Amino acid sequence: MTGTDNILSARGVRKTYGSFVALNSVDFDLPKGERHALIGPNGAGKSTLVACIAGQLPGVEGSILFKGHEVARLMPAELAKRGIGRTFQISRAFLQMTVLENLTSAHIISAGRWASLSKSLLAEATDKAGAMLATVGLSDRAQTKVADMSLGDRKRLEFGMALACDPDLLLLDEPTAGMSIKERHYLMDLVAQRVDETGKTLLFVEHDIDVVLKIAQRVTVMVRGSILATGAPTEIAANEQVQAVYLGGHH
Amino acid sequence: MSRSLRMTPARWAALGAAIIAIELANRVGGPGMSLVLAEMLILALFASSLNLLMSYGHMVSFGHSAFFGLGAYGFTLMVTKAGLPVEAALVFGPLAAALGGLVFGALCVRLTEIYFAMLTLACAQITFTVLFQWYDFTGGDTGITGFMDARFGLSEANFATLTLVVLGVCLAAMARIINSPLGMSIRSVGQDRWRAEALGLAPRRVQLVAFVIAAFFAGIAGTLFAVSQGSAFPDYAGLGFTLDALIMVVIGGLHSFWSGVIGAVIFTQLRHWAPLFTDHWELALGIILLVIVIALPHGVASVAGKLARMLGLEGRK
Repeated sequence: MTGTDNILSARGVRKTYGSFVALNSVDFDLPKGERHALIGPNGAGKSTLVACIAGQLPGVEGSILFKGHEVARLMPAELAKRGIGRTFQISRAFLQMTVLENLTSAHIISAGRWASLSKSLLAEATDKAGAMLATVGLSDRAQTKVADMSLGDRKRLEFGMALACDPDLLLLDEPTAGMSIKERHYLMDLVAQRVDETGKTLLFVEHDIDVVLKIAQRVTVMVRGSILATGAPTEIAANEQVQAVYLGGHH
Repeated sequence: MSRSLRMTPARWAALGAAIIAIELANRVGGPGMSLVLAEMLILALFASSLNLLMSYGHMVSFGHSAFFGLGAYGFTLMVTKAGLPVEAALVFGPLAAALGGLVFGALCVRLTEIYFAMLTLACAQITFTVLFQWYDFTGGDTGITGFMDARFGLSEANFATLTLVVLGVCLAAMARIINSPLGMSIRSVGQDRWRAEALGLAPRRVQLVAFVIAAFFAGIAGTLFAVSQGSAFPDYAGLGFTLDALIMVVIGGLHSFWSGVIGAVIFTQLRHWAPLFTDHWELALGIILLVIVIALPHGVASVAGKLARMLGLEGRK
């Protein structure tokens, strides 16, 4: 059902690559303010669904309503302006720029003034970037080039860049991949805190089930391009089908 | 590295010393030296405009000479066809180049990487062919000559000083653009268009703006070149100028603001003085290029930085 309190509502979303069906007619609702995890084995279509929502894939069939408006055919930049922010499975921070420059750039773009020559805007964005550095715990890395940083730090930076755009819906694709357990919990606690404080909605793809159980209010399990189950973390953990997928031979 | 350009006191000092050295050579070296210097400074501007595209926008163009040529012809045709005074026609060179950049750019930014480069090459070849074959309008391969005194009639030395000033103003303008929100946007799209898009940038629009800016500055260089020669030829839009500028940027070193200037200094000086010592100066250039690409992948500009750090003039970053 499409309630008015759903920030996102997808119907019959389908994406194919040649004869391979990456997403097979997915229906998916996301209530506003919810922290929602997407889990499932590799190749289940989790990242594809995230990319569809963010508008980054051509040829997506079906309907995606965001804040009540059809967005399935919009370009990523337009979706970003409407309030969808994301991070990528493989870090896509600007490698040859410093951490501070990455965040400054994110602030400038989210202000919608990318073509400005204003020095005061640059100074303002740099100040905001400095504050965001502290938020994501990278203050001591301000002048470090991203290419010289660990994967974990890059993920934190990317989260900061997504936050800089102040999105209503935050899409995090494997935000903790490549991190130590300690780093994972540190980042995801931070994510949950920021999401709740600012009233955002969170959709994240995650493989670490401990993190999922701790952070997510609801969980959707995907298998081979379809949704297998959606529910509270405890329900999902107890679901026999889900257990079969994760423990039994998933084919 | 391709970080935003910061001028430290040491860098200002180096820049001041370079300006003084060039002007000194200009004044004591005689007319021959002044002509070489003027050409060097014009090519430094042209290569810097390409460098803006390559080092900051990460867009490799094989057709940048189109805008050099459009600058020269935009200016020249305004004198010969529209009958404008030479001084007034000057502004139409860069404008023609920027307009060309807008048209070609809109086409080229639809593709990326090597396909982008190939489209720019095609656009430059079209420009060259039109200039080369449209005899009634452009004079074809005989070019346009005799419409003005070369260098406005300035002495060789004074004209070289003028080009030095123009180069300085243009470089300052480019630095201002790079150190601005727009510059950040151009660098962002250059480094990861997916990330930039997810943040809310339309990559093609940003690339088009970068392309037009680069074309505009290339147009200034082309106009200056036409003034220095007192003529315009289709070759100005030919592959030769594009290749020269590409070589200069690579010699100077990608990801540095100064690579166009440094590359132009080395390239033009070699081209003028090496033939005095060898009949095979192109071979010498090839070998130098080979050594630089293998031994100094970040170009000569990186050596200056290393040297400064070794001497303790700049801290490690």
